[in-house]
Amino acid sequence: MKLIQQNGESYHFHISKREKGLLFEVLKLYPLIPIAHHRVSRTTAAPAMESQKLLEGALADSTQENKRQLLAMLKRETRLQESDGAHRLTLSAPQMEWLLQVLNDIRVGSWLILGEPDEKKGKPIELNDENARYYAAMEFCGLFQMTLLDAFQQSG
Amino acid sequence: MTEIEIRPVLEYFPGMAETVEPVVRPDIEKEKQTDAQNELEPGYLVICWDDPVNLMDYVTHVFRVVFGWPKPKAEFHMLQVHNQGKSVLTRESMERAEHYVHQLQSYSLHATMERDA
Repeated sequence: MKLIQQNGESYHFHISKREKGLLFEVLKLYPLIPIAHHRVSRTTAAPAMESQKLLEGALADSTQENKRQLLAMLKRETRLQESDGAHRLTLSAPQMEWLLQVLNDIRVGSWLILGEPDEKKGKPIELNDENARYYAAMEFCGLFQMTLLDAFQQSG
Repeated sequence: MTEIEIRPVLEYFPGMAETVEPVVRPDIEKEKQTDAQNELEPGYLVICWDDPVNLMDYVTHVFRVVFGWPKPKAEFHMLQVHNQGKSVLTRESMERAEHYVHQLQSYSLHATMERDA
């Protein structure tokens, strides 16, 4: 997947059939991060507990909205135009921003499922038949995210 | 990951206007008033913590979007998170700090708000 053109607010990407299949399969995993994973504070003071409730409510709302948009995107593929055995994916800047958030949820959620591996702390990934697909999802999300970030970078 | 040029960054912490609640009763109400004031005063730190999963370019991008920072300042804080384990991003009132934490966590960054001791 790569950026081929940018016209104002519209970004046009070339995406192969294989990449498109991967992207859509990975997106079906959303959401992966449990709402309770997010902590508003490391303390347990009363204001923090109230804030925690607010945070969980806000994140639940945004996750639901993201899910709604995602289902719409997966159902309605008009954003994708087929040509020469590949596809042209057109996204606006806000749609790219939204896709970045969704992909990162899947990336971080996959990392959590993998047991929060951390090479720097000597905690390598322990792959097995059950979690291997989350390792793949984490890596694919990273690749798609870098493509979107590069596109933002190119447009200044 | 590509090398990033770091330039000095001017830090700033915009303050919020203070509001004072009318005093109704002494003693108990005075204590409540102090709590309410604390919520409005810029006494909460918004902190981003390091993790091995979020991409460095992604973290920089999120800081630019959420805080409207120029790239050098966003990169400065991203590298602080990466090298020192955390970065204090801003000091705000409770309400503003909550807002920023919500924003950062909607991007799945590990961010919290802590009272400035």
